[in-house]
Amino acid sequence: MAVDTMVVLPGDTVPQEALPTPMGKKKHLTLGPGLRHMPPSTVSSTIAGGLVTDPKKVAAWIESNSGRYLPATGDLVIATVQTSTAEAFNCTLTPHTPYAALPHLAFEGASKKTRPQLAPNSLVYARVASATKDFAPELTCVDPSTGKSEGLGPLKSGMVFKISLGMARRLLAGKKGGVVLLEALGEKMGFEIAVGRNGVVVVDGGNVKSTLAIGKAVQEVDEQALGEKAQKKLADRVLKSV
Amino acid sequence: MAPDAVLSHLHRADGSATYTHNGYCIIGAVNGPIEVLRRDERPEEATIEVNVRPAVGVGSPKERHIETLLHNTLRSIISTPSIPRTLVQITLQVHSLPDEDSSTGVSPSLTLLPHLLHTALLALLSASIPLSTTLTAVLIALPSTNTPTACTQLLSPTAIELLRAKPIRSAHVFAFSGEGKMLLNESDGTFSYEEWDEAAEAAEEVCCKEDGAVVLAENMEVDGREGENLDGWLRSVVRTKVEHEQRWKSAR
Amino acid sequence: MPQEAHISVNERTFIQDAIKEQVRLDGRAFDAFRALELTFGDEYGVADVQLGKTRVIARISVHVVTPAPERKFDGVFQIITEFSPMASPAFEVGRPTNAEVVLSRILEKAIRRSNALDTESLCIIAGLKCFALRADVHVIDHDGGLIDASCIAVMAALQHFRRPDVVVEGEKATVLSIRERDPIPLSILHQPLCVTFSYFEEGELFLVDANLAEEQVRSGEVIITMNRHGEVCQIAKYGGATVEPYALFNLTTLALQKVKEMSKFIQTRLDDDAKKRNASGLLSELSAENDRPFDKPVG
Repeated sequence: MAVDTMVVLPGDTVPQEALPTPMGKKKHLTLGPGLRHMPPSTVSSTIAGGLVTDPKKVAAWIESNSGRYLPATGDLVIATVQTSTAEAFNCTLTPHTPYAALPHLAFEGASKKTRPQLAPNSLVYARVASATKDFAPELTCVDPSTGKSEGLGPLKSGMVFKISLGMARRLLAGKKGGVVLLEALGEKMGFEIAVGRNGVVVVDGGNVKSTLAIGKAVQEVDEQALGEKAQKKLADRVLKSV
Repeated sequence: MAPDAVLSHLHRADGSATYTHNGYCIIGAVNGPIEVLRRDERPEEATIEVNVRPAVGVGSPKERHIETLLHNTLRSIISTPSIPRTLVQITLQVHSLPDEDSSTGVSPSLTLLPHLLHTALLALLSASIPLSTTLTAVLIALPSTNTPTACTQLLSPTAIELLRAKPIRSAHVFAFSGEGKMLLNESDGTFSYEEWDEAAEAAEEVCCKEDGAVVLAENMEVDGREGENLDGWLRSVVRTKVEHEQRWKSAR
Repeated sequence: MPQEAHISVNERTFIQDAIKEQVRLDGRAFDAFRALELTFGDEYGVADVQLGKTRVIARISVHVVTPAPERKFDGVFQIITEFSPMASPAFEVGRPTNAEVVLSRILEKAIRRSNALDTESLCIIAGLKCFALRADVHVIDHDGGLIDASCIAVMAALQHFRRPDVVVEGEKATVLSIRERDPIPLSILHQPLCVTFSYFEEGELFLVDANLAEEQVRSGEVIITMNRHGEVCQIAKYGGATVEPYALFNLTTLALQKVKEMSKFIQTRLDDDAKKRNASGLLSELSAENDRPFDKPVG
């Protein structure tokens, strides 16, 4: 089982051979979560997990599926509005963390007069606009280049289901993530789903029964690490029950 | 016998571990990085909070003392500057102690300390808190030399072994980082500098990884009970965790 | 962080809508408990209870003290519940939350003041020496239903616990260790257990054993403590929902059924544990047979 993965502990130096070598246009090695560079050329890990490399993108990171979500620029997240200030909503991405700011004007077509009204504890599907360790993270619901929402914005209905961070990454990774459940379900029934990298999915299947069935199925795929065949079987079972 | 560890089994905490070794069982949980109280906030590094909760009763000065030791040791392995102005909350609940723990004549805080350190580390690994290195710790007891049973040092002895080797002249806890640097030493009793030096050397052998396979084989003979050293044990625990997390890749 | 994170508007609406359609998030019936698991440790008096994702460990310990002067013939019994951040970052050490205060008050009323434990049996020499028994309740994982789970844990631990035997000669009492003489079970007069009913829709609908999300949405709760003989030990109501006095009769009938089931479950687990201990402990020591290695015939 996953024998080829190199398992690292915090503080381990990752040998040069294990990292992809920059070739062609891409001249720099990109280090993802869990790796840090110590000049001149040492790369060491900061968390425990499996080393993953992508030779095409010349990137390497440590994959681990536990712990709290740490915001990174560009991530799609489901944020909870806590309070509203003069210019922004204060949101949390995971409970008990410092606020992330979502400006009132960071919604599609929002102006000073038409800004959305969001009550405390309502949910927003947003993108992390910036996240550095020295500033509070900032969120946005528009694509800055087009000014369109691209599906982001307040989530008015549906139910929240908690999933692991790894599962959230898989759901957002498309084919590589190996989740075929949603496609299989989507062939026969209509539903909306928003996946947040912070380990939250919001499912709206139109009625209580379908919503619950879909949400539970996603959680089951996560918890029991179902393969493609098992997922299709599960999808059939869900479709029969609804 | 190598310690037994179960990782990430609690639902609410960000990271958790249950650690069982020689009759000591400790449940550890880590929350973090989370929001820190304004008064505890540090501008350029994370604040660390350690709570040790005894099996019986609420915390006493003894627990406060252990908490200080743990706090200082863990602060040097957690990469605090990478998560500034946040809180890492570590809770260690002692679940059970061996019956003989209180009658060994060795300070109970020393016998418990290595186990608490290991539990805290495993919970931190489970919470994926950025660390600059790992740690391993061991207890070494030196029995009184004028008793007939007195052999040399006892390496990570069980409570029963300590009871049999009574009286214990001195006890030492050592903790080493993944790179083999000494992070912590707590000693109790009377001992000479040479004895301490020997104990430290023996502890390093148990805790830190070896470079050559030959040395490892020799080690196993000298210290047959441990089987392998603690660094190897830690790696096997993490390997199990990674395999569990990535099992979906090979699932059907 | 003295507060538990609030539940989102979406979850609140969905849970309420689902309840109106007679559906619970985990597919349970309205009057069903989550899966209950109870395990005992190697030591006497440690009970580990899992109720769904909630996990509570109760540990009984004993030492000898001087009894209070106004209660010369009684031993001391204390239940200590202190939440730790392990169960939730909202729990701060040394600063009890509302939930913690309610839990300790209910346990106090349900177990201690209902005289579940015969404290007189803890007396060694009247006015001079008695046993002080304490039950430490550790909340390990929190997904609602802490009161019901803690009550099961404490009662199971009390029934599992064995106190050391004592020999009294005049005014001198000697506590005998477990090795010297078999320890003695506590004298337990009855076994109270709690059932929490969570109210929704202004008191029109109720759920048994709500999980954390349901607890955050409910408008009120009624906690009924009773033993399997149907004797009610206490009734407490928190929150705003109005509950008809007659509805309480229905609740007690339902609570009795649940308490009977749980008592039976605890008893089976206690019996299993006793069998296990007997097999490895006393019985094997009593057996006079020697394990003889089977001699292989020569040649």
